[in-house]
Amino acid sequence: MSLFGASIRRKEDPRLLRGDGRYLSDIKLHGLVHAVFVRSPHAHALIRGIDSSAAAADPRAVCVLTADDLPDGLPPLPCIDAEETTKPFNQPILATDKVRFVGEPVALLVVEGDRYIAEDIAGLIDVDYEPLPAVSTAEAAVAPDAPLVHFESNVVDVLEYSLGDAESALATAPHTLSERFVTQRYAGTPLETRGVIVEWDEPRQGLTMWSSTQVPHSLKATLVGYLGLPENAVRVIAPDVGGAFGVKLQPYPEEVVLGLACRQIGRPIKWVEDRYEHFLASTHGREQYHDVDVGYDDDGRIVAIRDHAVTNTGAYLQRLTLVEPFIGVSMLSGPYVIEHQQLLSTVVMTNTTPLNPFRGVGHVQAAFTMERIIDVVAAAVGIDPGEVRRRNMFSKDVFPLHRGIGNVLAGEIVYDSGDYPECLNRALAAAEWDEFRGEQERARAEGRYLGIGIGFFVEETGLGPYESGRVRVEPSGQVIVFTGACSSGQGHDTVLAQITADELGVEFDDIVVVHGDTDLVATGVGTYASRSAPIGGTAVRHAAGSIKEQAIKIAAEMLEASPQDLELVDGEVRVKGSPASSVSLAQVAGRVAPGQPLPMGVDNYTLDATDIYHPPTNTFSYGCHVATVEVDTETGVVTLIRHVVVNDSGTLINPLLVDGQVQGGVALGIGGALLEEIAYSDDGQPLNANFMDYLVPAIGNMPEMVVEHMVVPTPLNADGMKGAGEGGAVGAPAAIANAVADALLPLGAKITETPLGPETVYRALQNAS
Amino acid sequence: MSDHAVTITVNGVERTDSVPARLTLADFLRERLDLTATHLACEHGVCGACTVLVDGETARACLLFTVQADGSEVTTLEGLTAGDELGPIEQAFWAKHGMQCGFCTPGFVMTISELLDENPTPTREEIIEGLGGNLCRCTGYVKIVEAVEEAVTLRGGGP
Repeated sequence: MSLFGASIRRKEDPRLLRGDGRYLSDIKLHGLVHAVFVRSPHAHALIRGIDSSAAAADPRAVCVLTADDLPDGLPPLPCIDAEETTKPFNQPILATDKVRFVGEPVALLVVEGDRYIAEDIAGLIDVDYEPLPAVSTAEAAVAPDAPLVHFESNVVDVLEYSLGDAESALATAPHTLSERFVTQRYAGTPLETRGVIVEWDEPRQGLTMWSSTQVPHSLKATLVGYLGLPENAVRVIAPDVGGAFGVKLQPYPEEVVLGLACRQIGRPIKWVEDRYEHFLASTHGREQYHDVDVGYDDDGRIVAIRDHAVTNTGAYLQRLTLVEPFIGVSMLSGPYVIEHQQLLSTVVMTNTTPLNPFRGVGHVQAAFTMERIIDVVAAAVGIDPGEVRRRNMFSKDVFPLHRGIGNVLAGEIVYDSGDYPECLNRALAAAEWDEFRGEQERARAEGRYLGIGIGFFVEETGLGPYESGRVRVEPSGQVIVFTGACSSGQGHDTVLAQITADELGVEFDDIVVVHGDTDLVATGVGTYASRSAPIGGTAVRHAAGSIKEQAIKIAAEMLEASPQDLELVDGEVRVKGSPASSVSLAQVAGRVAPGQPLPMGVDNYTLDATDIYHPPTNTFSYGCHVATVEVDTETGVVTLIRHVVVNDSGTLINPLLVDGQVQGGVALGIGGALLEEIAYSDDGQPLNANFMDYLVPAIGNMPEMVVEHMVVPTPLNADGMKGAGEGGAVGAPAAIANAVADALLPLGAKITETPLGPETVYRALQNAS
Repeated sequence: MSDHAVTITVNGVERTDSVPARLTLADFLRERLDLTATHLACEHGVCGACTVLVDGETARACLLFTVQADGSEVTTLEGLTAGDELGPIEQAFWAKHGMQCGFCTPGFVMTISELLDENPTPTREEIIEGLGGNLCRCTGYVKIVEAVEEAVTLRGGGP
């Protein structure tokens, strides 16, 4: 029986459960020295001078680097999705004359000893700052007299999309509404912070860098470029990564500085962020508000939307910062037809930590805005919110659906496959929508406020440009799979082995999966954008398919049969129709082991195949969340009761693991809906950069959760996989906000923002008309 | 900074060392004894990733100084079960997919071990109450609860 599609337990776990994980900070090298970064305590300041003489004079100091010590002309790290019109607001490797957010790296200190000593001596580095006025919100940053973060304006880029003629449609729509919907700033906050260990590789005159990263190959390319080292002299290894969620999906300035320092001192260096530093120096996400004008008719059909989204992208554009503002508007209409759309996205800089994508980038704000709009319309026309969605949704007959809207890094949006109405209906049934209405009515009679809300989303997944997969059969018949995707907890070892076992019929336990090492994996892109199964998995499927072809060719001579008459079943190449005539995959691999002449027509002493899979375009997963809540109207506290998800991420390799992805995503979405907000003072000082004050969901915050899958395979890849890592985080805030709004509907409270903490809900009740 | 002599029994082995007063127990375990299952994720006592047992009770190794543990018996994940065996809690995490990145897992396993020693057949509410001090960012906790229930079964309802 094939293990493909089976809920089997993971290859990864026994080792981790024994305490034998090898996370970045567990790695020990002989002669390791310790690094600490000196960071700006100011949101905005001129650097008038840096005096590191006292630190450098300490006998334990190994080196100090400031911007002046870096090679001349070192460019800032690029924003790869910048447009022609995007202004070059990129972060220098170390701050030069100015700092622009609290936490910006200003200097690196390396010491003998340990982290304690490194922090002691770092205190001796005296940076002379001249504080400047700072700005921390997008609204303040676009005001006429706002402090300027970089140049003459804090607006970096403005993006426009349009469909139809929204102006005219709004002018003639039977009804209109105008509202601002606000999603706060929050972040992935993996339990393991970022960290780097870097060692000078003397024989290669290059570097080996271990980094807690999602993108080892991209980091390698960055080090090669910035250090001017030969491509064959840099090796990057991502060891076990303790969660990432997008926070680790770009090369960071710290990695470049540590590479430069290592080359200078020739000794291995270790740096690990502490949690406070992580909040300041690792990228944030989300902060975006949408000003919408919506036109609709008496039947609840939305005819037009005009949306102006404004994103506070922080002090610098990072590698993929613009994805947040772009997807926030381009995916706004999700599963809904909406013929006329005018979408404007403004990118604004402030003196805060930069934004970069994390789990559900842009889609979270789009779904929150759109789904709140639908419920406001439903309430206005007096029609059930589920029914209003049905009336506005695309039918299952429209695929492939060209949306007529571009999308950053991904070309035009073409929805590949699905059945949105069925997904909605299944979710409403699982949530017992109609029954809940009765329960809600009874509770209201007792003065208790229950609510139910829907969060439907469509999400761009399976992003290209490519991923690598390589399968090698050892002469023993055991198999090694190499992937350019890179695990941060998703279970790559398990699911890629399931695909390989399925294709080759070899035992799951005879397969080893290797990832996260640029010496072992020649090329790769990494893990983000729900891409490892659809792109990385497809590459492995193709590579294993090539192995199959090669094996049949080799076996043809061994079995004295024609390749067309052979098949590979259960790890054996057999003559079709006479299975007794067979050779095992091990025998086939042994036949091309060196030391003997090759079979006729075979020209390689290996059973080894690589595929670089370039998807034709993205896949689009979708799902429907239904949340039920109770709101305490005296305290504003929202209690989650139940959370139902019906999700279509295409074919499932391992349903147990996909359940885990969805459940974890929902938890992150619950954080965004109710708890998490990175707060700044007006002048850019972070107010809650720790886990005491920044609340990530704990076990007691979780409702009962129901996850169901519907499977509409995508036609875009061999197995029909669409990507499952992020959707949980996308649908949850919309569903929960709608449930809170539904609970408070009789009281007239307006729900337009997250997180819906007690104060926000209480304020909404106070302001209710 | 002065050093202090300490004697701590870690996973059944008596260890004697001289440590600075400010060295946390977590760093002592990780850096001096190479017991790296005790993970550091917040270093301010909130997330529970560094949970160990000190004289049989859970403690946050990031908030304890090594000198405070002088004379104590400390158990880390490495010492919870002998050799390469997986104990019932670990087996249950594996079976129920109670972990993804695995970074928080050792802290959870230690907390659950104390919980089940004190209350071998907890209700779901007692499980949720008992694990309230450990953060996981990957799983949404659903399968962690299932893993605890599975561990109860594997332990046969006994300690």
